[in-house]
Amino acid sequence: MKRNNTVMDRVFVALVFVFLYAPIFLLIIFSFNAGNSNTVWRGFSLDWYRELFSDRVIMRSVYTTLLVSILATVIATFAGTFAAIGFYGMRRRKRNVLTTVNNIPMMNADIVTGVAMCLFFVAFFHGWGAFAKWFNGIQALVSLPERLTMGFGTLLIAHITFNIPYVILSVSPKLRQMDKNLVDAAMDLGCTWMQAFWKVILPEIKPGIVSGALTAFTMSIDDFIISYFTAGSSSSTLAMTIYGMTKKRVTPEINAISTILFCTVLLLLVITNIREARQEQLELRRRKLPTATAAEAAQYASRPTSRLPKLLAAGGAAALVLCVTVMAGRNAGKPVVNICSWGEYIDESLIDQFEQKTGIMVNYQTAESNEALYSLLKSGAGDYDVVVPSDYMISQLIEEDMLEELNYDNIPNFGLISDRFKNLPYDPDNKYTVPYTWGTVGIIYNTAMVEEPITSWEVMFSDEYAGSVLMFRNSRDAMACALFYLGYDVNTTDVGQLREAFELLRDAKERGVYQSFVMDEIYGKLEGGNAAIGAYYAGDYLSMVENNPDLAFVIPKEGSNWFVDAMCVLKDAPHKEEAEAWINFIASTDANLANMDYIWYASPNEEALESYPDYYEECYGEELDPEVFEIMAPSQEILDRCQLYLSLPAEIRTLYNDLWTELGI
Amino acid sequence: MSKELIRLRDVCMAFDDELVLDHLNLYFKDKEFLTLLGPSGCGKTTTLRIIGGFVTPTSGDVLFDGVRINDVPPYQRQINTVFQKYALFPHLNVFENIAFGLRMQKRPDPSDPTGRRMVKIPEDEIRERVMEMLEVISLKGFENRKPDSLSGGQQQRVAIARALVNKPKVLLLDEPLAALDLKLRKDMQIELKRIQQQVGITFIYVTHDQEEALTMSDTIVVMDKGTIQQIGTPEDIYNEPKNAFVADFIGESNIIDGIMVRDKLVQMYGKQFPCLDGGFAENEPVDVVIRPEDIDIVPVEQGQLIGTVTNVTFKGLQYDIIVDFKGFKWLIQTTDHSPSGSRIGIKIDPDAIHIMKKSKYSGMFGDYSSFSDAYEELDNAGLDPDEEESGDEE
Repeated sequence: MKRNNTVMDRVFVALVFVFLYAPIFLLIIFSFNAGNSNTVWRGFSLDWYRELFSDRVIMRSVYTTLLVSILATVIATFAGTFAAIGFYGMRRRKRNVLTTVNNIPMMNADIVTGVAMCLFFVAFFHGWGAFAKWFNGIQALVSLPERLTMGFGTLLIAHITFNIPYVILSVSPKLRQMDKNLVDAAMDLGCTWMQAFWKVILPEIKPGIVSGALTAFTMSIDDFIISYFTAGSSSSTLAMTIYGMTKKRVTPEINAISTILFCTVLLLLVITNIREARQEQLELRRRKLPTATAAEAAQYASRPTSRLPKLLAAGGAAALVLCVTVMAGRNAGKPVVNICSWGEYIDESLIDQFEQKTGIMVNYQTAESNEALYSLLKSGAGDYDVVVPSDYMISQLIEEDMLEELNYDNIPNFGLISDRFKNLPYDPDNKYTVPYTWGTVGIIYNTAMVEEPITSWEVMFSDEYAGSVLMFRNSRDAMACALFYLGYDVNTTDVGQLREAFELLRDAKERGVYQSFVMDEIYGKLEGGNAAIGAYYAGDYLSMVENNPDLAFVIPKEGSNWFVDAMCVLKDAPHKEEAEAWINFIASTDANLANMDYIWYASPNEEALESYPDYYEECYGEELDPEVFEIMAPSQEILDRCQLYLSLPAEIRTLYNDLWTELGI
Repeated sequence: MSKELIRLRDVCMAFDDELVLDHLNLYFKDKEFLTLLGPSGCGKTTTLRIIGGFVTPTSGDVLFDGVRINDVPPYQRQINTVFQKYALFPHLNVFENIAFGLRMQKRPDPSDPTGRRMVKIPEDEIRERVMEMLEVISLKGFENRKPDSLSGGQQQRVAIARALVNKPKVLLLDEPLAALDLKLRKDMQIELKRIQQQVGITFIYVTHDQEEALTMSDTIVVMDKGTIQQIGTPEDIYNEPKNAFVADFIGESNIIDGIMVRDKLVQMYGKQFPCLDGGFAENEPVDVVIRPEDIDIVPVEQGQLIGTVTNVTFKGLQYDIIVDFKGFKWLIQTTDHSPSGSRIGIKIDPDAIHIMKKSKYSGMFGDYSSFSDAYEELDNAGLDPDEEESGDEE
């Protein structure tokens, strides 16, 4: 019986470790996979690491992460150490209260801290804006910036804030262990308080300071949630970038970067633990020594202490700080433009080209959907210059006076845009927008998993493929599917029709038709064969079919939505000229060709659209499949079957929101 | 003993409205070994910290060589301190610990004619002076050891050397022997006295151990509740205690209510005893102190007082016996054995009787009725060296 128990114990221990570490090992192994699959091993390669280091978005977020972690660690260590000394000098009751107050933020849910800080910053900026306006109004000597935005500064402040408690927590015990007469003794021997601090307190609490700094650095490196809420539009940490990348599909590149992040944090933890173990040993030896023999004691005392590791560490740290400062210095003062677009929606080499050509730094961020972008802008957290919303969202933004009129003199390439995409209903006088891409919505399905070709929206609501259907996770697109199926106008304002569409959707949801409601997660699910059917955008289908040739796309017979995504500049954008330079650059034929090739969405640039098949042939040495091109840029005949979304009246938008909430996604 | 070096004038100290020192007036002479003696919480450590400059008195003046130094920080005073539990710097070896004060010092550059430029003490002079100190404390050859590899007594001596190497005019010692075991403590008492005579400076010593105080001091200041009870040489303090508190705190005492019939005649238990003291009013109530070792046991019929032995403890040199005289219990130390329960007589010589004026301490001490409790209290006093005088310690 006893024997059995030990076997069971071991099995359980083994299971626990398997569950804990198997996923991480899998991730590490597949980061070295030659193919781009996460399930099939195609041989060892370092390609993904190479790709990683040439990916500018990742490299920039690595740089941001390091910079913010190092600065936050240094500042938090400094502040935390002195705070701990302050606590130490206090009366016991006061100190206990403050220690508890100090510990609460560490226990607090990150998301609460993150949201709270975000709200605080927004509120502060709001107040600051009013103050600056008033201050600039009454005098002309100093001009205060009226518009502050979240960015590296707020990210840094947030990191410092959540790091300080960890430093205090690790320095305080060292202070308490310290003989409280040491400072008096030093001052008695001729030190001022400051000298006593450097010569006596600091050496005594140094182990606490170092482990506090290491903890703080680790916390900073791997923080995601708080950064997510405080980084604003212009900065992105590594964890945030990884999160953004996973929306589409988990590529081995993500495995590679995650592996590096995992190893970094592991290394930091190992260092911290080894230091602690060594401290304990030392402490143990100290306590034992008075009874030890003199010879042992002498040996211990005369143990040579090598300075080399310390020098190396100091040198390394100095070099790192230098690099970071140099890079920071190089980037400081350059003009910038903050852009918010959609995931995998640009050929990133265009960003480099633009930066080299104009010297304007690009901060490129992504949002998940039009609705998400809208709430981001409304909350004041999204301080972008350029956004790329879809048609109906553009009219809503114009209606709410959130867009700036463009100066088309700065955008000569607007002339290259086909007339079909000008003066569309969302921007009738074309004062605010330059189209970015256009396309259609349809049903993507796996031919190996369905019995006969899909032709109707019905499949999105029937039980036939229940459990393997993917529905849009945004109200407008999801409702549109139902409206098309019911044969109603997709822009209807009839509450009865909308209710009916909603009932259809809710019924299907309750019957378990939908595997899940998705946006870019649809990539992984359809490519991997985890779902059979999903409604999504044509351009994305073309990206997916590269990885899974069984996928097919159809615009259902009932008709569908066609859309235009267009670049706009936000009201009072701080970098309007840079924004227009960017828009002009992207509207060029070359940029449109590059984008079309990368994201498979059709270009509104007539010249680019027409020459794309030739461009493709030139690039890949084979002809572009006309069927593919047809899906990418459908003929006018097909477009005639499709409808643009129009902006809805406010009460209908509220209804949409209410219904969506009722659906409970 | 020579001129006055430090004077405390009307010094008061309060922590959180709690008066720790109450109008203290005290002076310290040059080159003397003075002990501040008293129970925990009597204000002796606070007095020491005021002299050292670690706390500023709430009111009153601290004078050094006639100059007011209330606001002079510790690092500018010609005073050094040996702390409770030594407070050696753990990250420095013995040599660097001792050299610490010297490395902090600056003095006028001898090569600068204006005498304004300050330089550090040269390294070879530091080495010489530290080595000299190591010799004084008999720890030559230990200079590379870290403090935590030394025994308690060795650490103690390093702490003394670290203070003395700066050639202070006054050395403050805050219960420096409290953490040592009994045997080592006795050795160090003699060692400390020797060092004090060798370097010839003022030592101000704080302790709650009356034996330590009697052994080493030139002058003892007995303190209780922030006030001075008595100042005097060890002999004065022992033989002529001013009140019941001092009589009880220094050594063992039987303290009995008495009435001074007239000069040199005191009445206890309704009987009259001749004594040597005078200067009281006729029939003034007084406290009578009789040291336990000054009482002779005699046969019952010869006794001035007759009592019953209630308890006998063998102490090696003598027996401690508790004797009940009409409900009031005395401690008597004798070399003769008297069994418990036996009736004995006692005889008291006139020079064994010491008369004190009544004070607020009258009736609080000197009765051995609850003798076993009293013993425990005395033992515990030795085990609790921590002073809680600054009020906020853990």
